[in-house]
Amino acid sequence: MAAGPYNYSYIFKYIIIGDMGVGKSCLLHQFTEKKFMADCPHTIGVEFGTRIIEVSGQKIKLQIWDTAGQERFRAVTRSYYRGAAGALMVYDITRRSTYNHLSSWLTDARNLTNPNTVIFLIGNKSDLDAQRDVTYEEAKQFADENGLLFIEASAKTGENVEEAFLETARKIYQNIQDGSLDLNAAESGVQHKPSTARGNALNSDQAPSKEGCSC
Amino acid sequence: MMAGDNDAGVTAAPQQNNPLARKLSKILETRLENDKELLEALKALSTFFTDNSLRTRRNLRSDIECKSLSINEEFAEAFGRVKEELDDVHADVQAMADCCRDMTSRLRATRTQTHELIAKTTKLQTETQRLEMRASVVDAFLERFQLKPEEVKALRGTRDGSLHDNFFDALRRVKQIHDDCKVLLRTKQQTAGLEIMEAMALHQEAAYERLYRWTQSECRVLNSDLPDINATLCQAMRALQDRPVLFTYSVEEFSTARRNAVVRGFIDALTRGGPGGVPRPIELHSHDPLRYVGDMLAWLHQAAASECEHMQSLLKLVTKEGVADVVRQALAHITEGICRPLKVRIEQVVVSEPGLVALYRLANLLKFYEHTMTPTLTADAPLLACLAEMHDLGRRLFFSGLGARAAKLTERVELPPADLGATAGVSRGLALLAEVLESRDSSVARLDARRRDDLAEVVARVVDPLVQACSVSASRLAAVDMAVYMANSLYLIYTTLSLYEFTDRRLEMLQAQVDAHVDTLVSEQASHVLARAELSHVYAHVRAHAPKQGALSVVAGMDAASVKAAVGRFDAYLASPDASALPQCGLLVSPRTRETVAARSVELVSLAYAQIYEAIGAPENGYGDVNAIMPRTPAQVTKLLS
Ligand SMILES: Nc1nc2c(ncn2[C@@H]2O[C@H](COP(=O)(O)OP(=O)(O)OP(=O)(O)O)[C@@H](O)[C@H]2O)c(=O)[nH]1
Ligand SMILES: [Mg+2]
Repeated sequence: MAAGPYNYSYIFKYIIIGDMGVGKSCLLHQFTEKKFMADCPHTIGVEFGTRIIEVSGQKIKLQIWDTAGQERFRAVTRSYYRGAAGALMVYDITRRSTYNHLSSWLTDARNLTNPNTVIFLIGNKSDLDAQRDVTYEEAKQFADENGLLFIEASAKTGENVEEAFLETARKIYQNIQDGSLDLNAAESGVQHKPSTARGNALNSDQAPSKEGCSC
Repeated sequence: MMAGDNDAGVTAAPQQNNPLARKLSKILETRLENDKELLEALKALSTFFTDNSLRTRRNLRSDIECKSLSINEEFAEAFGRVKEELDDVHADVQAMADCCRDMTSRLRATRTQTHELIAKTTKLQTETQRLEMRASVVDAFLERFQLKPEEVKALRGTRDGSLHDNFFDALRRVKQIHDDCKVLLRTKQQTAGLEIMEAMALHQEAAYERLYRWTQSECRVLNSDLPDINATLCQAMRALQDRPVLFTYSVEEFSTARRNAVVRGFIDALTRGGPGGVPRPIELHSHDPLRYVGDMLAWLHQAAASECEHMQSLLKLVTKEGVADVVRQALAHITEGICRPLKVRIEQVVVSEPGLVALYRLANLLKFYEHTMTPTLTADAPLLACLAEMHDLGRRLFFSGLGARAAKLTERVELPPADLGATAGVSRGLALLAEVLESRDSSVARLDARRRDDLAEVVARVVDPLVQACSVSASRLAAVDMAVYMANSLYLIYTTLSLYEFTDRRLEMLQAQVDAHVDTLVSEQASHVLARAELSHVYAHVRAHAPKQGALSVVAGMDAASVKAAVGRFDAYLASPDASALPQCGLLVSPRTRETVAARSVELVSLAYAQIYEAIGAPENGYGDVNAIMPRTPAQVTKLLS
């Protein structure tokens, strides 16, 4: 009975980036509420959403930070990259300029996150195929060259939205299994529950002070 | 019928008439072999009557009588035996009857006795039923109003302080019983109700106390990055909501643990960073004020969001009203620990003179986060106060810095340059203003009244001293130079400001000032044209002349020849009006102002010509034919000039 929506063993932190109007907030809304928000106002600073998913039988809570694409918030939103386990980088397939800016977003993402951060490129608004301004192949090539996962999705129809968020989580989880992601570190973007040992037992001190070299 | 009788009479008559015949026929009809009695008698007779003789015939009777006697004697003897037997039977039956009678009477007696017994038994049976009923009622009562031993045990807790699995069920039972007692109190069972209530209250108190201690120790250790809020703890919080004080204490205990976790996490993020130093420690960017403060605040924002979730998951089973407020209050407490380390660092940045623009943006950033965090916290949260205080500090330092800079730029009275453009001080002041206003466009703070006021103040702090400085510099100049210089400087300020929103009122004021200087220039320019054609004294006379003074043509210097000569020189001006423009007007920076001055001065000149034309044409002034002196009509002049 107590297995409510809060029982998860990991928290993964995501960040959604990309030019204004590409549909970042709509993607988040579609993912968390399964609804399309047709007239979504511009995001002010950052917004926040959560959802619990399951990967390989593990309950994982996604903590998703949706950033504003407007230039004036760049300084603020940059501060949210740190410690993201996953970054969803979004462009609008009907507006070439949003695609052209990807390299600048990617630079930010690479500079401000850690090397294990899973970066997923999303070409949004795939429902507007008639107005397409960026081909699938071109974007796919860009993604391959930069080692990014890639999918075209639509926040409007919901197509591939789930897949993008889940695939990112699967990749992060795989990194954990591989051991390439250090869970003890405070800002790996992944928080892990101490194994379900009861509070009274065993854990009085748990300072993760295994790293002495705080440069 | 009659006929029948007659018939019978007829046929029977012959036979019945002769008795003898009748007798004979009767004898004849007798069939001896059919008379069994006779046959038997004959057979018996043949046994002893063997010798048919007279004597025997004579004796037959006696013999038969003798024989009959002996047989009767035999009979009598036989019956005598039968009688004896019957007498015996009779005696036996008699005895049986007696016995039966006796039994009947005994039975009757028994029956009366049994009846009583049955009545008694029935009574006892109903009694039993009644008692059984009561027993089941009592059982039900006990079931309902008493704890089972295992429940008492569950409530008592274990030696190491942990809770039994069915602790909460037992606690719920105690509570239920306690509540049910209120029903008892309304019945006749008040004493029982009170006693049970009291007992349950004691159980409850002890259990809640135990639960609180358990919760407290459980919460105390939840100070890791991701606290393991287990189902039992959530149940504990739900149970504790019935004891507001304990509930509050427990929430506080949890908040305190989280508060410590958050402070530790903050310090880690500042100094240690992520795994292997990626992401880098925030303090690594302390040389970049905006990034440094921005990273700290973003970290805080994210931490607050996570803590909010932890709080909600702790209280997910709590059903009482106002959980959202409890969460907000707890968050206010949790984030309080951050205030000191945060404040120290931000203060350091703010007072380290990071530059005016940086200060302005810092103040905006702080405002932005104050706004962003407000919904998650209570209005009196220390963190909000801290952010507000830091914002205020930044803002004050910014304005005082801005004022000081503007004062510095304008403290030395500069001579206007030869081109009558803005002085270097004004240009620099405007560059400063532009820089600040520019950063406002990239500002993240919301457009509220406060920000609008801030902008007004920014403008006032810079623009007012600049305008004043211009006036001081201009005071040393001649009228035309001054007007051009002021118009140029004000125009520059105007164009700088007009790029930004919320400067309308200020722009209006500047425009009015520019207009005043343009007016000056217009009249200077017109006078200049008239003076060059030496028409100005003609015009002055025309305007000063009153009809009672007599004809204008007799006034000295106003004779027809002089006027005609002046009009001739004016004609040269008409041929190339631009040649008569004041050289300073060419220095006007704004082409539109330049055009305005030109157009309006031409208008004035035309007007003056028209007035002169009218005066010369008036017969009482004695000039004769006006066309001889002034060949062009005012309309022609206006047309030529436009
Ligand atoms: N047709 C179509 N329209 C979409 C889709 N996703 C978003 N939109 C529209 O695009 C507009 C912008 O969407 P947002 O989600 O607000 O964009 P954003 O990236 O969050 O913008 P900022 O918050 O300013 O950075 C909205 O009007 C949406 O209705 C999509 O998949 N298909
Ligand atoms: Mg948005």
